[in-house]
Amino acid sequence: MDVIVCVKQVPEVIDADLKISREGTGIEKEDLVMHINDWDNYAVEEAVCIKETQGGTVTAITIGDDESEDVLRRALAMGADKAIRIDPGERELDGFVISKILAKVIKDLEYHLVLTGVQADDDNSGMVGIMLAETLGLSHAAVVTGVEPEGDLARIRVELEGGMDEVSRIQLPSLLTIQTGINEPRYVSIMGIRKAGKKELTVIPVANLGLSEDDLTPRTRIEEVFLPPETTGAEMIEGDAASVAAELIKIIKEKGVSI
Amino acid sequence: MVTPYRVSYWSIESVWIFYVLAALAVAVFVFGVISHVSVWSRGARRQGIGFSGQGIFNLFLDGLLGRRIFSGDVAAGTMHLLILWGFLGLFAGTVLISADYWVYHFLKGPVYIGYSICLEFFGLMLAIGLVWALIRRYLQRVTRLERRIEDLIVPVWLLVVVLSGFLVEGVRLSAQRPEWGGWSFIGHVISLFWSDPRGALSIYPYVWWSHAILSLGLVAAIPFCKLFHVLAAPLSIYMEDRPDLPMPAETVTGDEEVFSSRQMIFFDACTRCGRCVEVCPSAGAGEPFSPREFIAAVREDLLLRHHPLKGLDWFSRWSDPRKAEKPDLDPQKVWHCTTCRACLEVCPVYVATPKVIERARSRVVEDGTQVPLLLSQTLEKLYKYNNPWEASKKNRAKWSQDLEISDLTKTGEEDPLCYFVGCTTALDTRAQDLARSFARILKHAGVPFGTLGKNEPCCGDIARRVGEDGLFEEQMESCLALFGRNNIRRVVTSSPHCFHTFRNEYPTFQALRPPDEKVHFDVRHYTQVIGELVSEGSIRFEKRLNIKVTYHDPCYLGRHNRVYDEPRKVIRSIPGIELVEMSHNRANSLCCGGGGGRMWQQDLDSKIKMSEIRIREAAETGAEIVITACPLCLIMLEDARKTASLEDTLRVMDLNELVVMALGLRSEGGE
Ligand code: SF4
Ligand code: SF4
Repeated sequence: MDVIVCVKQVPEVIDADLKISREGTGIEKEDLVMHINDWDNYAVEEAVCIKETQGGTVTAITIGDDESEDVLRRALAMGADKAIRIDPGERELDGFVISKILAKVIKDLEYHLVLTGVQADDDNSGMVGIMLAETLGLSHAAVVTGVEPEGDLARIRVELEGGMDEVSRIQLPSLLTIQTGINEPRYVSIMGIRKAGKKELTVIPVANLGLSEDDLTPRTRIEEVFLPPETTGAEMIEGDAASVAAELIKIIKEKGVSI
Repeated sequence: MVTPYRVSYWSIESVWIFYVLAALAVAVFVFGVISHVSVWSRGARRQGIGFSGQGIFNLFLDGLLGRRIFSGDVAAGTMHLLILWGFLGLFAGTVLISADYWVYHFLKGPVYIGYSICLEFFGLMLAIGLVWALIRRYLQRVTRLERRIEDLIVPVWLLVVVLSGFLVEGVRLSAQRPEWGGWSFIGHVISLFWSDPRGALSIYPYVWWSHAILSLGLVAAIPFCKLFHVLAAPLSIYMEDRPDLPMPAETVTGDEEVFSSRQMIFFDACTRCGRCVEVCPSAGAGEPFSPREFIAAVREDLLLRHHPLKGLDWFSRWSDPRKAEKPDLDPQKVWHCTTCRACLEVCPVYVATPKVIERARSRVVEDGTQVPLLLSQTLEKLYKYNNPWEASKKNRAKWSQDLEISDLTKTGEEDPLCYFVGCTTALDTRAQDLARSFARILKHAGVPFGTLGKNEPCCGDIARRVGEDGLFEEQMESCLALFGRNNIRRVVTSSPHCFHTFRNEYPTFQALRPPDEKVHFDVRHYTQVIGELVSEGSIRFEKRLNIKVTYHDPCYLGRHNRVYDEPRKVIRSIPGIELVEMSHNRANSLCCGGGGGRMWQQDLDSKIKMSEIRIREAAETGAEIVITACPLCLIMLEDARKTASLEDTLRVMDLNELVVMALGLRSEGGE
């Protein structure tokens, strides 16, 4: 079974002081640590697991500058066989453009399954997977938490609202957006990444794809990025641990919470 | 008077049968040895076996004199010495009698008498040693000894061989009645059982053949049972003193074993004496791990995979199920060890379990699918943030905000003293006080120093300990580059872990570099620096501190680097302080459970936490404060103090904090 998995490089923001860029439409990425989008990591692991049990190949695809090849190397180290990077140059991207570009490349490949993450850590829009399925004319399922291929079908488990799961069969080829927790992504060692350097990695400039200007025109535009306005009501308690604790207890008692 | 001598094969017919059996026994023996050697030859070859004077010396002390077997257990040492020398003596006797028969007849007259007496003595020693061994195992039931079937068969068999030897001798003397028979004092006593020489003569061939077959059988069995240590242990002891050559991750290919040949010899040298199990903190805490079982499992796995017969059907039919049912090679088993080195300290044959564990981990890490979740997250953090605490660079120097410490990456000083704070000390709120205290002490003593500020990287200790060698090497490269760029040649660390990695791991890797690419630097642990400041009088304690303290030896400071005295000296130089020792101290100190990457893993199944065992031991001394000298110990013991409900009676402090307190400098730690 041949699987294509789409991955994206995103900044790690857990301990970072985010700064809004000068244009005011994004954040400054200079000092940020870049990493594979968490959801995509699960998607790659799922693709590799499918390959390990069913045979076939795994191809990882990303859109980005040469630094984003790191996520492809990582996917290759996890067990992908081939990787493709589409270089967008200076073009502006949004979910629509990304899905058009991906569709154009994937269209000519052999595959039974296309996997993407449910969404990406950076903009959380969760659009690419679904739009890509639409453009490719594939049946699809979103927020998938289990995949078991059965001939030209796949049994899939999908997370619904309210803690419910739904199990269904989907006709292949299809596209699934993968939810975190579907598996335990393997650890990728530094040596593994270095050794994966020998595997095939193709770079395609977006201009070579022959997409129309319309397809490459973003449908969304960020007007402004800003921090939520400061509100009042927060009180900073200062001092050493003991006095902070005493103060806290006092406040909790005052507000009438029973402890 | 007739010259005393002995006729070989006296009154034995069909001697050729004996030769056939002997040839068979030797063939089986040689085959057994070959199968071990063929495993050894599969090991990663990073270790030359050249001549080593020290090796010979160790062989003499540890092998012939049993130095390490004696230490801590005189009874075991004496017993083993009796068996070893008895065995060697009888072996030499057999060689001599063969030489006498085949080469040159010299065992006659007084020489023969002397020979007989010696043999009697060696036989007696061996017999006493064996009986003693059986008593220790089965009557005294020494806890570290196991009672498996093999443990019974081997000594009993040996004993039967010795006793049947005496019997052969007695029967022969009784049948021959030579006038010099009395010199073989034991044989002589036995010979008195037969009043009639003909009676003795009639049973003589039977006893002779039984003895011969039992002895040959034993020879054949040596490579297949615990007796193989008689060959592997001396080799292991001989090779011990040579440093492990590094195995750069780049050079490790998938088809090569991760263990070195030398480590494989260690595995075969293990005698299952159980000393390691007794001292292992993980086993002691009731975790499902024991260094002895681990080594045995690795050894069996290697033997089955590289056995010369592995291509044969019947062999794999026998070995496959064995491979399948080995819980100890379960990849999960490699995470228990804290690499505390306690086992190596006591192992009579120097089995370096912590090193072996690191190699075994590297295999699990390269495979990637079985790495425990928390650990794999830690490694990701190490890679992304250059520390295991997921803290971005800007937070690295926060601990020193109000202390005005110069940043050596900016000042460009000549030959500065670089205080390498380390990830945990720089980022964990409890451990930060160690850094602040040390900085205050250096300032107080007027020692100019600086840090690498927010550019300080991870030294690579965690990656190294958990087997992520590629990451370790990258971190080492960046550390060395940073030191080189900023002319740093003198380093002092907070953590014994950074200290160990700089002092012992970096040089082995740097040895592979061309001379002009080496970065030379000298590293000390802070306890050594403070010790020096106290000795030279730069630090003087005037205030009396009337408290009772105990000192916990961090594994990587004590056992791994032999720094036991400096911290104690510093503590003792504080007037009024009373230092009491825990029952485990110095070389047999008990691990807090934080090393070997355990700090960054989920808790493994155990009856009680290692840190709790240690903190209770500290409490038993009646001390008010446990002093330690490692940020990991500090955090582990501090936590244990709370879980063991010792909060009101016992405090945990870093040595720096104690010194700051004694000097009356401001301290915020240790409450
Ligand atoms: S590893 Fe060493 S201490 Fe442990 S059982 Fe084997 S010989 Fe004894
Ligand atoms: S190094 Fe320590 S924890 Fe590891 S096996 Fe040896 S005694 Fe046990």
